[in-house]
Amino acid sequence: MRSLRIPLAVTAVAALVLAGCGTTSERTSGASPEASKSCKGADGKYTIGMSQANVAEPYRQRMDDDIRAAAKDVPQFDVKFADAAQDNAKQVADVENYITQQIDLLIISPNEAKPLTAVVKKAYDKGIPVIVLDRKVEGDAYTGFIGGDNVQIGSEAGKYVAEKLLPSGGNVVELKGLAGATPQAERHQGFMDAIKANPKIKVIADAGGDWLREKGQAQMDALLKANPKIDVVYAHNDPMAEGAYLAAKAVGREKEMKFIGIDALPIPSGGIKAVEQGRLSATFTYPTNGKEAIAAAKKILIDCGTVERSQILPTRLIDASNAAQIYAEENPTG
Amino acid sequence: MTDVQDKITPVAQSSGGVVATLFRFQSVFGLIAVFVAAIIFSPRKNGEILFISADNLANVVRAVSEIGIIAVGMTFVILIGGIDLSVGAVLGLAAVGSAVLMVENDWGFLPSVVLVLAIGLVFGALQGVATAMIGIQSFIVTLAGLQIARGLARIWSGGQGVAISYGDGPKEAPSSFAILGERTFGGLVPIPVLIFGVVAIAAVVFLRISAFSRHLYAVGGNEKAARLSGVPVVRVKIAVFAICGLLASLAGIVHAVQLNQGSPNDGIGYELDAIAAVVIGGTSLAGGRGSVAGTVAGALLLGVLNNILALNNIDSNIQLLIKGLVIVAAAALQRLRPAS
Repeated sequence: MRSLRIPLAVTAVAALVLAGCGTTSERTSGASPEASKSCKGADGKYTIGMSQANVAEPYRQRMDDDIRAAAKDVPQFDVKFADAAQDNAKQVADVENYITQQIDLLIISPNEAKPLTAVVKKAYDKGIPVIVLDRKVEGDAYTGFIGGDNVQIGSEAGKYVAEKLLPSGGNVVELKGLAGATPQAERHQGFMDAIKANPKIKVIADAGGDWLREKGQAQMDALLKANPKIDVVYAHNDPMAEGAYLAAKAVGREKEMKFIGIDALPIPSGGIKAVEQGRLSATFTYPTNGKEAIAAAKKILIDCGTVERSQILPTRLIDASNAAQIYAEENPTG
Repeated sequence: MTDVQDKITPVAQSSGGVVATLFRFQSVFGLIAVFVAAIIFSPRKNGEILFISADNLANVVRAVSEIGIIAVGMTFVILIGGIDLSVGAVLGLAAVGSAVLMVENDWGFLPSVVLVLAIGLVFGALQGVATAMIGIQSFIVTLAGLQIARGLARIWSGGQGVAISYGDGPKEAPSSFAILGERTFGGLVPIPVLIFGVVAIAAVVFLRISAFSRHLYAVGGNEKAARLSGVPVVRVKIAVFAICGLLASLAGIVHAVQLNQGSPNDGIGYELDAIAAVVIGGTSLAGGRGSVAGTVAGALLLGVLNNILALNNIDSNIQLLIKGLVIVAAAALQRLRPAS
């Protein structure tokens, strides 16, 4: 039996491998695909593929939800969703699958730029318009990019600390996002540049919280023990800021310091509510761009128009004065 | 089954043989079944069955190749009754290593690959030493190994993904390295698939012709008995973990070149996919029973399943659920398998 089983399995594998061979040739027409190629106007039916980096993050879940909600108003659109679960290789496969399905337009929020560049180019070269959200890809093989500016957001946060929270100086601790992620580096850089305006502000410690609430809390536990005087906690996102708040509260020190975060998700567990309820002093919006992505898709597929190559949406400061109002605006149905 | 029964009930025996065969071929039949189901449930466009388009099948095998390479090494470890949780992290370490050596240190293609493979081999061997000579359970050793490899990858890369671009200039990887990734061998087989194929066939052949194979199954079947009958248990264990580390490292090189980047976060959770492929392939987690061919079929089964679920745009949460059920079903079939 043993002698039979291996050759059979090998044959099966070989069959599958061979079946997969032979057609890696690309249609490499020189002309770059333009919007008009896929545009069938208002009478057409369009399948849109949305490739999400990691739906386990609330920000990205909201991005998908915003796309879904916006697409509801466009009867010609049928949007599919794929989740790469933070794995570049999986996201490459997701886009490959969309290409196989011959979708009419690709929306992608890449996990990382470099690994996704080739496959996004492949889709673009096959004539599929590509809208890149939030994180960029390299080169210019895409139709349009829509995102926020993390350096600017970090800089707004730094300005807020330098001017509003600590005009006469003080000690700041920084809770950083996942090492290696671009937003982490940019939110740090913008902040550091902006607080230089006030030389009496010192960043006395930092720690990596990997974007996670529980990790932010654990890191803050340690920072509280090591640092008797902390005036401001700057976290790279709201969940880590909330975690830091909980850690400070556990040792009765939450009133001594201010907490600020980033993202301002308009969801019940998000940063805007945390500001409204007084746990965070401020947060800064980082738009999901879901609505804008569908608007761009509509322009390309239905109106046969073109979209801006790069659309940077501005951030907004959310503090106690506007939190309730903005939350209501972002959730019109309640 | 005793001799007497053999003589009395030849019919029953032969049908028992058929049943046993079915179980032995479990993963291959499973693969065929999933393959057929995938054709049936494949979306169609202009009369074309998208699943069996050549491009798509190439994507399937390409996507499977990294997990497949790791899973071959994992099969060896599981055959001796161990487990290796460090493979995903070792893949990350190797991906970072290839990128840093070639891009930042301007090393050549061959020395970089050799060093990275050696790191994987030594890392695995050390885990083998900790298991075989100190006697720590492999689950614990490799759990620690996972953390250590991940930490080393973060340190080596400075916590950042290291982008790989190709060329002859400084801070560029040699163009020869790119051949391993996107390009295909003779315009036919994607290179990662070819590497996976070579690894799998080499492992199958190795297990059939070498004495090592007997030792492997003996250690997995009954370690004490194997030791008493003169099997060099310690050496076998070290060798097995070394092979597993080496293959994880190889998968890391393939990973880096396919994605043009080595990131310290590469390969998170890959150990679980590899274990799933081994289990679906019919290898017993208790050790002593199973095959590399089964694992290859198991990995391909998972790849086809992933692909057809994605082509049908099944919600990603439901996908997880379905894959979980397939693993449980494969393990349940193992329990029903008659003792051989």
